[in-house]
Amino acid sequence: MMLKRILAIFMILIIGFWLAKGLSGIPFGADKMLVGKYYLEHVKDQTGAINAVTAVVVNYRGFDTLGEVTVLFIASTGVAALLWRKRRERTAKMEGSVVLTTGSKLLFPFIMIFGMYIFIHGHLTPGGGFPGGATIATAFLLMYLAFIVYEIPHKGFEVTEGLAGMSYVLVGLIGLVIGGYFLFDWIWQTWKLGTIGKLISGGFIPVIYTIIGIKVATELSGIVDNMLKEEVKE
Amino acid sequence: MSVLTGIGEFLVLFGTVFYFISTLGLIRMPDVYNRMQTATKSVTLGSLSTIIGVGLWAVGEGFSIAWLTKTIVIAVFLLLTNPISAHALIRGAYKSGIPLWEGSVVDKYKEHLEGKEGEE
Repeated sequence: MMLKRILAIFMILIIGFWLAKGLSGIPFGADKMLVGKYYLEHVKDQTGAINAVTAVVVNYRGFDTLGEVTVLFIASTGVAALLWRKRRERTAKMEGSVVLTTGSKLLFPFIMIFGMYIFIHGHLTPGGGFPGGATIATAFLLMYLAFIVYEIPHKGFEVTEGLAGMSYVLVGLIGLVIGGYFLFDWIWQTWKLGTIGKLISGGFIPVIYTIIGIKVATELSGIVDNMLKEEVKE
Repeated sequence: MSVLTGIGEFLVLFGTVFYFISTLGLIRMPDVYNRMQTATKSVTLGSLSTIIGVGLWAVGEGFSIAWLTKTIVIAVFLLLTNPISAHALIRGAYKSGIPLWEGSVVDKYKEHLEGKEGEE
């Protein structure tokens, strides 16, 4: 047991030394931007967004985001498939105190509004669809933890999730029709809608981030719901 | 340097002193409940004063008023959530049977719970 631990520490030290040696070749503070410079110089006129990160994630490298959304969808479906049983219910024993339940009820709409604020302003402020969606899912998690009988409308959530995923692909397909390739930013490139820096700008970034936010929120809430339920013996 | 900058700097200093006092309390206090007391009360006050102080400071330095608005929103959110989380933590600690400090003299909640059990 002791020998095993010492060997493990020794191995990790060797790996860490190798990694440190490899990283020491890269000087800090040096100008290493090749593609990054292009993004920073062209982000405003090419995408209409101020937040370069969301512009890169949604516009320049949109396929990556589509892949991430797919990964989340598979995770949610996988959890549902692993925990699938006929009769499953919440089996929480103790009701939360009055302070907790009232506080959660009061905070729920504020957290929802804040989550929506994050994903609607993805092209202007830090954030975007994934943090916004996760924030909204936190609101549902809060309700789940504060009440023993709370349950999200399951059917509706799954339908919303699927519809949101489909609309993302649909926005990309409209780009394919108008511009000639998948995920072409038709709102900004052909319409030039809005002024840079205002809420209505950024091409299809706010549209896609609203879709992603709704999708992530419903997905994570679904995972929470699945994991909190237990099998009931008849 | 304007008046707002001065007030902001003072508030930030005030808040950080309260942060220090409350971390000191975390080390010095004997049991969970006393520690929660220092960790919530003084940290909430310290955070409020630091956060609003930063907002005032930024406005005094000539940044936009948006700083102050955002800090006030964050402060109100913290003011509402911190006591609730502390309440839930302490209640959870009591329900899972963590004992009070041996120097404590009164446990009315235990008497209340026992009285309730006797009724049933």
